[in-house]
Amino acid sequence: MNRLPAILFKISLAAILAFITLPLLVVIAASVSPTPAVTFRPSDWTLGWYAALWDSRWLDPFLLSVKLAATVSVASGVLGALGAYSVAYAKCPGHTAIMSFLLSPMAVPQIVKGVAIVLFLSSAGFFNLLGTPGLVVAHIVLTLPFVVRMAATAMFNFDKRLDRAARILGARPAQRIRYVLLPLIRSGLFSGMTFAFILSFNNIPISVFLVKPGQTTLPITVINHLEYSLDPVLAAVNVASLLFILGAIILFEKIGGFSAQFHGGSK
Amino acid sequence: MSTIDIELHSVSKKFGANRIVKNVNLAIPKGKFVSILGPSGCGKTTTLNMIAGFESPTSGEIRIRGTDQTGIPPEARKIGLVFQNYALFPHMTVAENVGFGLKMQGRSREEVAAGAKRALKSVRLEGFENRYPKELSGGQQQRVAVARAIAPSPSVLLLDEPLSNLDLKLREAMRVELKEIQQDLGMTFVYVTHDQEEAMAMSDRIIVMQGGAVAQEGAPADIYGRPRTSFVADFIGKSNILPISAVADAKTGNGSWRVLLGTAGMPIMAARMPGLVPDKARFCCIRPEAVRLADAAGALDEPANLLTGTIQKVVNLGAYLEAWLLVDGEITLKSMIRSSRLDKLAVGHRVELAIAHAAVQLLEE
Repeated sequence: MNRLPAILFKISLAAILAFITLPLLVVIAASVSPTPAVTFRPSDWTLGWYAALWDSRWLDPFLLSVKLAATVSVASGVLGALGAYSVAYAKCPGHTAIMSFLLSPMAVPQIVKGVAIVLFLSSAGFFNLLGTPGLVVAHIVLTLPFVVRMAATAMFNFDKRLDRAARILGARPAQRIRYVLLPLIRSGLFSGMTFAFILSFNNIPISVFLVKPGQTTLPITVINHLEYSLDPVLAAVNVASLLFILGAIILFEKIGGFSAQFHGGSK
Repeated sequence: MSTIDIELHSVSKKFGANRIVKNVNLAIPKGKFVSILGPSGCGKTTTLNMIAGFESPTSGEIRIRGTDQTGIPPEARKIGLVFQNYALFPHMTVAENVGFGLKMQGRSREEVAAGAKRALKSVRLEGFENRYPKELSGGQQQRVAVARAIAPSPSVLLLDEPLSNLDLKLREAMRVELKEIQQDLGMTFVYVTHDQEEAMAMSDRIIVMQGGAVAQEGAPADIYGRPRTSFVADFIGKSNILPISAVADAKTGNGSWRVLLGTAGMPIMAARMPGLVPDKARFCCIRPEAVRLADAAGALDEPANLLTGTIQKVVNLGAYLEAWLLVDGEITLKSMIRSSRLDKLAVGHRVELAIAHAAVQLLEE
């Protein structure tokens, strides 16, 4: 009697996975297309579009996006850990209200955030912050709630008796944070920082308001290019970004071990 | 040198309007195994937390090795604590857990490793250094917790119901081992428990707490044999607690007191209680094993009360029979009688009973 639902379940699962991955396959196929019009002929393919990426037109935006994402990830990680510590661990006065405030940027659409930040910077006279400094600040606003959320969950789950145990064994406050608290919330913090990195690296809706000519991020460069032509270079850029993000996730995972969070405890 | 490790002088603790600990005075001698025993909510864990420094007394003073501990945080008190749930660090190996206290003292890597090894040896858990806590059984985690607490060589070890998460067999084995570890190390152990058997089995001294105050303090045999209140008599072991209407005659020849039991006023001879004003006695306690059959096999060579009882109910517990006897038409006595006497104990039979004068203890309240 259970066979039919089980088969239906597998079919729908396969359909969902296909729905997610097939567009990627199309993009990969397009990136090796032999003609400037996006076509796909299995017998006849080229890596020439990837070679075309090795050009400052693409490399500069890529490096800017990497620097931006790395800065945002680290800054959000530090700020998010401090915020989560006072809100979820030390339970400072008014911690529920502060937590809601820290998470509130998530409720604002990204376009609105982008417009708001541009209007604020220009009306407050900070024109010189438009461009990269503005991007860093705006991306931190975007990613901080995710880092706070994940770090706070890890700290809520932290067994405070472990802090007492360390205390009676002679550990001072800084030692308790270094040897007991941080190792045990590390995976939550790193998964938040990974999110922050990816969100920043891929962001369009906020970045589009803040980039300056000559200082554009990779996704904005792709959008700009798209206005004039739809050629396989775009597909190659996207495949390259995808591989880069995958590499970044693997690196973060190696450092933070955060997948253990989803498989029940570290080590 | 002082031989008292921990002193509490008039220590009270309030949480809001609730007085959890009321004017407790204690002196815990060096090198002894002392239990703080009481039901949940009696203030024993709060008392322990105040000694450890996790709570501070609302009033009163705690001294450890003669030094007032007011304002001294737990990390500076140099005492060990074994937690009820062990609280082992899940991200550290057994060796790292046990060496943690020494590492915090700034000892060298070699000293930390040697200290951890020595502590693990004293709890008989060698060869597990590189395991993680979750790879160990409950009993092994318990040993790691004890090893971690004793590794920095504190002069006092506090234990907060450390055996309550273990199954019965293991708990009984660990009782013996904890006592051996304590004697090997010569360390002062302060053991908090609600389990009277545990406290009886291990302690040199028992402090019984009730409602935030010390109800009675003494050697286990004293607490069991000469309870002062009906609470202590009831909490420690099994007992018949009977109301008395009056202490009829305080002076009789052999040093016993004559008291009247129940509303009917059945006379019975009771042990003299030094320090107890006869008029203040409200109850008496008779342990079930002191209620004996008065025949040749059960004869006593000390002054005894001779009573007649009707058997109401018998429960066979294997080695012993538990029998309920109605005496004088009004008073029900529970008794423990060896199973070999089963033939004497048919429900409805009348039997002659003997209860030594010394086994009838008067209680204050």
